[in-house]
Amino acid sequence: MKRIGGVVVSHGQVANELLSAAETVVGDVSHVTAVSIGWHDDVEMAKDQVERAIRSVSNGKGVLVMTDMFGGTPTNIAAMFLKDGEVEMVTGVNLPMVVKLAANNKDISLSELARDVEEQGKQSIYRTAALLEPQKSK
Amino acid sequence: MLEGRTKVVNRLGLHARAAALLVRRAGAFKSSIILARTDQDASANAKSILSVLGLAASFGTELQITVDGDDEMQALEEIQTLFANRFGESA
Repeated sequence: MKRIGGVVVSHGQVANELLSAAETVVGDVSHVTAVSIGWHDDVEMAKDQVERAIRSVSNGKGVLVMTDMFGGTPTNIAAMFLKDGEVEMVTGVNLPMVVKLAANNKDISLSELARDVEEQGKQSIYRTAALLEPQKSK
Repeated sequence: MLEGRTKVVNRLGLHARAAALLVRRAGAFKSSIILARTDQDASANAKSILSVLGLAASFGTELQITVDGDDEMQALEEIQTLFANRFGESA
């Protein structure tokens, strides 16, 4: 089955490390790649890197780009490549989001996966003290 | 449908690596495999890594395993063995 591709884009080495952590958890992450944009990298060069990365994981099912922070350079660069039904983006990437994308084996559309990944990212954040407080009605 | 019990007996609990192994093994079966904590209302699909991690099952947690499908007997046995063998961990 063809899979939706994924590109993690971040400042510094965060993207590479998130992907290698996800690989430890999921195993096969051959359909996902990472672009780490150095703090002093040239924007044009970074643009090229992101474009190549998107192409390298694209196989007709679409590509989901996950960036580290809304408003940051990686997000702004990746935004140049958004294309309806082909390239979507979710910002604020965390490890569960990368795992969600890497482990996806359902035959769903790019926009559905993008929504699932966004949901997963939000639901994976807990204030642990809240879990230990006595249960009140929610 | 079959039901069984198991207990997390490895010190680190159902952490990422152990959960990954569990999900890989569970995924090889046709049967549906559900894990549920016996001490609170939380259950997980054993074939989904994020679902399993969400159980936050630490050392000593008791789990109810519910399997349903053609290969339910082998599935239950293998999952129970995996827990009992501490996911291959030494402690």
